[in-house]
Amino acid sequence: MADLKILAVDDSPTMRRIIINTLKRAGFEDVTEATDGKDALAKLKVDKYNFIITDWNMPEMDGLTFVSNVRKTDDLRNLPILMVTTRSVKDDIIEAMKAGVNNYIVKPFTPDTLKEKIVQTIKNAV
Amino acid sequence: MAEDSKVPRRIHEELGELTKSIDEMIKAFRRLQNPIEESRQRVPMATMQLERINQQTEEATHKVLDMVEEITKDAGNIVQDLKTLRRALPATYFRNRSGIRDTFERIEQTANKSQDNAFAIMDALQFQDITAQQMEHTAHLLDEVETKLHSVRGLFGDDTSEEEIVRKKRAFDPNARYTTSSDSQQEVDELVESVKAAKTE
Repeated sequence: MADLKILAVDDSPTMRRIIINTLKRAGFEDVTEATDGKDALAKLKVDKYNFIITDWNMPEMDGLTFVSNVRKTDDLRNLPILMVTTRSVKDDIIEAMKAGVNNYIVKPFTPDTLKEKIVQTIKNAV
Repeated sequence: MAEDSKVPRRIHEELGELTKSIDEMIKAFRRLQNPIEESRQRVPMATMQLERINQQTEEATHKVLDMVEEITKDAGNIVQDLKTLRRALPATYFRNRSGIRDTFERIEQTANKSQDNAFAIMDALQFQDITAQQMEHTAHLLDEVETKLHSVRGLFGDDTSEEEIVRKKRAFDPNARYTTSSDSQQEVDELVESVKAAKTE
């Protein structure tokens, strides 16, 4: 699982840095960052990834639109997606799940929660 | 005939009063126009101030992150060096040197503790993203006030009110809040599981 190639999408440079550090601490060394959904889609066209971590509120393309786009793309349809966001309203979570998110974490998260959800999502996706 | 000539004079008097009132109203509106314009000009200043606070908080957070990364790296190096040192010493070295062995362990524990503390600081720095979203929300509300004041100017015949204001794209969660309670994640987990279960049914 440590050889997972992860794409971390968040418009906040602080959050990207914290997520990458947390992932490396948990043993996930291969992490690429994207600043929003648009940037992430461009990166997905160039490289192959095994896992996506995405924020919801981003200026150019939000997380929900990004997830919907990923799910519409044939070879990305089954790519595990973990949403990490401040949005904790019930309807938002249901909307994200319907859009195709596999798992959901509310910010601020703990390193244990992030690791646990990645492992759980991968296991369920297999 | 006398009655007829009275009517136009009364109307004339009433119209005179009405004109005076309208004049006063116009003057009052004109007096209002300046404070509205002043307020409208101040709103972007307040928005800019918020954006500056956001930028400075982000810069400061990154400086702290630089230090935290350095501390975790140094602490990791200490633990690694101790391991190298242990391996370089003969297996029997600590047999009659319990004091040195204890010192080794103490250094290792302190390095690990420093690393854990530094990681805890890093985790807490997530506050910056959350407060940034709260500030963006406030800036968005100020944008709305500015747009409304801009439209009010149009009511006073100001042509510039038809010019479109170019806005920065803002992305934020209006309900973003910093909470370290594990309850909210637990509630999310339960909801996620129930949605998944409903999907498979």
